[in-house]
Amino acid sequence: MVITIKLRGSLIKYFNGQREKTIEVPLDCSAEEALKLAGIDWPKIENFGFVAINGKRVMIYDKLQDGDELKAYSKISGG
Amino acid sequence: MSDANVVFTLFFVLRQEHLERMNGTMKRLKFSKEKCIGCQLCAQVCSAIHEGMYIPSKARIGIETYYDRGGSLKYKDSYCTLCGICFKNCPTGAISKDDRIKVDYEACTGCGVCADKCPKKVIKIIEGKAYICDTCDGDPMCVKVCPQGALRFE
Amino acid sequence: MLGYQNNILRINLTKKEAKTEPLRMDWAEKYIGSKGLSIKYLYEELKPGIDPLSPENKLIFMTGPLTGTSVPCSGKLAIAGKSPATGTICDCSIGGHSALKIKYAGYDAVILEGKLDKPGYLFIENDKITFEDAAELWGKGSHEAEAMLIDKYGHDYSVISIGPAGETLCTMACINSDYYRQAGRGGMGAVMGSKNLKAVVVNGTGGVKIPNIKEAVKRIAEIEKEDTLQEDNTFVYDGGTTAFLEACQDGGILPKLNFSDTTDEDWTKYNGEVLLESLEGKRGCGSCGLGCGNFLKMGDVVCEGPEYESISVAGPNAGNSDPVAIVKANQVADDMGLDTISAGDTIIWAMEMTEKGIRDFGVRFGEMDKYIEYLKLIARKEGIGAELALGVKKLSEKYGGEDFAMQVKGLEYPQYEPRGSWGMSLAYAVSDRGACHMRAYAPNEEVFAASIPPYTPEGKGEMVFNLAQWNAVKFSLCICDFWGTLNMELMAELMTLATGKEWTAADMAEVGTRVINIARAFNQREGFTAKDDTAPKRLFNEALKNGPGAGQKIPEEAFEDMKQQYYKVLGWDENGMLPESLLATL
Repeated sequence: MVITIKLRGSLIKYFNGQREKTIEVPLDCSAEEALKLAGIDWPKIENFGFVAINGKRVMIYDKLQDGDELKAYSKISGG
Repeated sequence: MSDANVVFTLFFVLRQEHLERMNGTMKRLKFSKEKCIGCQLCAQVCSAIHEGMYIPSKARIGIETYYDRGGSLKYKDSYCTLCGICFKNCPTGAISKDDRIKVDYEACTGCGVCADKCPKKVIKIIEGKAYICDTCDGDPMCVKVCPQGALRFE
Repeated sequence: MLGYQNNILRINLTKKEAKTEPLRMDWAEKYIGSKGLSIKYLYEELKPGIDPLSPENKLIFMTGPLTGTSVPCSGKLAIAGKSPATGTICDCSIGGHSALKIKYAGYDAVILEGKLDKPGYLFIENDKITFEDAAELWGKGSHEAEAMLIDKYGHDYSVISIGPAGETLCTMACINSDYYRQAGRGGMGAVMGSKNLKAVVVNGTGGVKIPNIKEAVKRIAEIEKEDTLQEDNTFVYDGGTTAFLEACQDGGILPKLNFSDTTDEDWTKYNGEVLLESLEGKRGCGSCGLGCGNFLKMGDVVCEGPEYESISVAGPNAGNSDPVAIVKANQVADDMGLDTISAGDTIIWAMEMTEKGIRDFGVRFGEMDKYIEYLKLIARKEGIGAELALGVKKLSEKYGGEDFAMQVKGLEYPQYEPRGSWGMSLAYAVSDRGACHMRAYAPNEEVFAASIPPYTPEGKGEMVFNLAQWNAVKFSLCICDFWGTLNMELMAELMTLATGKEWTAADMAEVGTRVINIARAFNQREGFTAKDDTAPKRLFNEALKNGPGAGQKIPEEAFEDMKQQYYKVLGWDENGMLPESLLATL
């Protein structure tokens, strides 16, 4: 299936400054599997924040569906 | 023209060309105000390196931003552009200039003509001596710490 | 230790006397500066039980050993006193350039005592201190007062001022500097107003010494390039706190309609992209490296900001999606000298009261003209403003609506919905000055994190403690929050460079814990216990309907459990109180 990955904050460097990419992933793929396929090894990224599917925060192991938008954030602090 | 005059004129013309060539390729401080956040780290480190403490009132650079009555953002960009006007007007010859300004503190009388004439209003007369940017010997510290790259030396 | 001026300026406003005294270096070794040291001074010098609006209260402007050095993000000033909104200790952190001016004038701190016999302002220039008349400034907005003072003295001077809200002793009054920077919470503006002090004008032409300065400057410049300016922090320059809007929307903690729900499908109407179309320039504080300030111009509406808090409280939380109204609300609040969070939360509570028919305050969700008008009325305590100026705690005790009066100890809720971030309910409850997001920023660990579940009480006591400890020491150096990657090791290295004394990461952690403890000790002495570490019943009784937290509400037992976890980590008893043995170490 096809999904779009959007990056926020300092994660943009993993797409060489691009903020989004469309990629092919296997059926029943999880958010973390999709990120790995796109070259983002999240446990190794110190300031990795969270992920959202279609604008809603999910856990990193939650599953994607065809046409989903997966957003990945770096951590931000302050207020 | 006599031989001496020809030689003199030739010498003068060649010297001018050399100076202009030098000025053309000479590095100077450049400032982009859109990148400036008004942090004054430039003045802080300038004074730290030259005075041995953080004392911006004695810095040889004075870049600041401020709100004019809260309604618009203004910039004070006092930095040395190596225009040489101070050098050309110094009555005692204390100021010399090649790729940077140097002040001979023995010869400087603190008369203040340089500060008056400086078009960037960056020269300060403190305790009877002229404080003028010396580009930190060609490797300006202010440029190194400017966080958003508003100051460059090129 | 170097870095300090070893000099305190003590001002007796009653007698119009200015004296200097050495810094208590023994206290500085335990509390460092800014937040921690100002609380220590107040703990030692204020008798318990005083009226915060009486001349007995003190207002301390405290710098730290790094202030005035080239350590990035070190330019904030701590402003502390006993809070008239809560009765607790309150320390704020204001940006701009006044911290540097005070330090270069030769002082680590200015301690303001007593009360002027009539409205005045204080003039400080190095060792010249004068008491000036403020008859022409009193009654004026903070912006106009600052403009008049700068017209008189020039741009070399920094102005710290109050607006009409401080003058009327409104407990939501803030202190302003540089037009658009605030010491926002807890009514510090009212403390300054209660002393008849309209402004402090300060300039300093002296310096700050650190050991081996030439090598130190180079090392600090390295740290600036390698750490401060890394991409994880530069979102601050790119968009400032508007970046939080999308994260909070997706994270399910953006509050809507007085915290009755979360997520706003209209968020793209007022987000960073929209607001920054009107960007005129970026601005930072003294010694900043990141430049969070967004100076916006939308027609005749001008403002540096709005920050995430101000966007949310005048945006989705007020049922509004018009960005111009949000920026206008921010501009008016700044000029009136009002905390956007507390004033905003009070108005949106009044909106809900009106909508529910419990009491008609004459304003409903989305009515931004009224919202902006009410800010002015609250600041001047005129009309309905005289009532609303009481804040949601006192208002709800009078009229009902306590369940959705979103506050702790009398300080109104910052803009993060705790049902979407359970640890935040704990952070708000135990914060030293009432509901505050700057003590333990829980969302960073629970929501903006890939694998920590936000909807459980497990481990939240320790999590909130770690965050609070980190902020407590950071704000005692003082270094701004936006240097998000700053850790204990870096802080120790910077402190060692600046003071010449060896500091370790363990020392930093110890100072953080000690600062949390002394703030709690102050409050304990004022009579605060575990029963005051509260959460509004809305969190327990009403489930969220939207966003990733849909269906979530916090069971009261879970909330109480989180509190007990936190007390245990700190060695406090079940009543949230420090034992004698711990008090003796402070």
